[in-house]
Amino acid sequence: MVELDAASLTTRELNRRIKDLAAAGQDAVVVNPAARHNIAVGVLQPCRIRVEGSVGYYSASMLDGPEIEIEGNAGWGLGENLMSGRISLSRDAGASVAASMRGGEVYVGGNAGARAGISMKGGTLLVGGDSGFLTGFMMQKGRIIVCGDAGDAVGDSMYEGIIYVAGSYGSLGSDATVEEASEEELLDVWGTLERHGIGERPHFTKIVSAKRLYHLDSLERLEKAAV
Amino acid sequence: MCGVSGIFHKKATPGRPAPIGRDLVRMLDSMAHRGRDSTGFTVAGESTEADLIVRLRADGEGPEETAARVRDAVSRLGAVVVSLDAQGDFIRLFLNYEGEVPELAGALYDMPEIEIHSMGRSSEVVKDVGTATDVDARHGLGFLRGTHGIGHVRLATESIVDINHAHPFWAYPFPDVTVVHNGQLTNYHKMKRKYEDAGHRFQTHNDSELIAVYLADKMANGKTLEGSLRASLEDLDGTFTYLVSTRDGMGCAKDRWSAKPLVAMETDDVVAVASEEVALRSVFDEEIARTEPQEAEVMTWSS
Repeated sequence: MVELDAASLTTRELNRRIKDLAAAGQDAVVVNPAARHNIAVGVLQPCRIRVEGSVGYYSASMLDGPEIEIEGNAGWGLGENLMSGRISLSRDAGASVAASMRGGEVYVGGNAGARAGISMKGGTLLVGGDSGFLTGFMMQKGRIIVCGDAGDAVGDSMYEGIIYVAGSYGSLGSDATVEEASEEELLDVWGTLERHGIGERPHFTKIVSAKRLYHLDSLERLEKAAV
Repeated sequence: MCGVSGIFHKKATPGRPAPIGRDLVRMLDSMAHRGRDSTGFTVAGESTEADLIVRLRADGEGPEETAARVRDAVSRLGAVVVSLDAQGDFIRLFLNYEGEVPELAGALYDMPEIEIHSMGRSSEVVKDVGTATDVDARHGLGFLRGTHGIGHVRLATESIVDINHAHPFWAYPFPDVTVVHNGQLTNYHKMKRKYEDAGHRFQTHNDSELIAVYLADKMANGKTLEGSLRASLEDLDGTFTYLVSTRDGMGCAKDRWSAKPLVAMETDDVVAVASEEVALRSVFDEEIARTEPQEAEVMTWSS
């Protein structure tokens, strides 16, 4: 495990060091991030990164493979475009957490801001607390699990994917509808909670697309080849 | 883009002021990436023996000529100049004046080539092109102390880049009301026309000036600071996160789409709000919990 002091590195240098360590199979610990933007972005192989403190915008974005633990808050766009791997944030995330993520898992221990999981294309976004306005806006695939309450317009204009909300929600978004969750599904969701140390097994409201708004081919290129 | 920041020292008083100027310079410096066109500050709750602090700027003439013109104009309305500092085009004026502030503001407004940056009982606006460090070096901002203040770094979208279009915008002719804004108002022209039809005069072509005038007008008509901010969520159309500073209060409001960022940190002594946490971290050394105001949310603090 190699300690990197963000205070004495530019963001470009810091990210370069993290990538070099990942290539050498070593874990990185980042100290003094001081809520700076773009920390730990673009790492494309499995590795472990621990960030001791809050991060700014687009941190841990464009990742494929790493497991990242962040002790603190994150600004807008945490985990944007995650392909695979895991991101775990101990406190609150700003707006647009996990925007356009395609795989892997993003866990927010506290609350998430507006537009959590906007345009998600796969994977799981788990919010331990509440999520804000327009949760799952234009979501296309994957699942969002909110253990607390969700704000107004949940699942607005979503195409596919599932949003589970344990608490209350302000209102359903355009073309979003509530469906009964099967026992099998709930077991799966509870299993995800358990992995993050959440022992409770609340009932979840399942929100999906009513599919009255769109008429598009929802298969990915590779899926189409397989059909 | 643009960045906004505000700081409120709960236990400070004009007699025991806090280093507001220094705090704002640090916060805005850490957000320089959000806008390098211009930077501006309101420092409020200052201690002064004078009745009024006036900040203005004159285009295209020497400081002596401007000073003489200003002295002449304010004396004619019975104001006594306690002190007058001219620095380049900028003038800082302390006045003793018992008349109506709008009358004095009107007289200065009518002077050619003069832009009033602020008039306040205990607050003033300093704004200039460049980063927070640049503006601090030119205007000695770090020395200004008070109870609270707001600041702004600008990346211009809606009107020209010059000193007078830098934030904060003062709500001519209402003393002490200033606003910094991140966003765009889409019903600016419509609302501006409404105020102009009622006889109001605007100093700039910037939509953010309208927010200041709107709030000051509401408060002058008896609404509380919080009530005025809430009303603005209905009346202003577009995207906005703005902060307002009054003589003894500070507030923020976020539009119903939650389109522009804002985070807040609060301890027993201090409240700080800013577009980004990185700015909060420049005044709070340790990691403390922060909150993120959501859509259509309003917060106020007052002493």
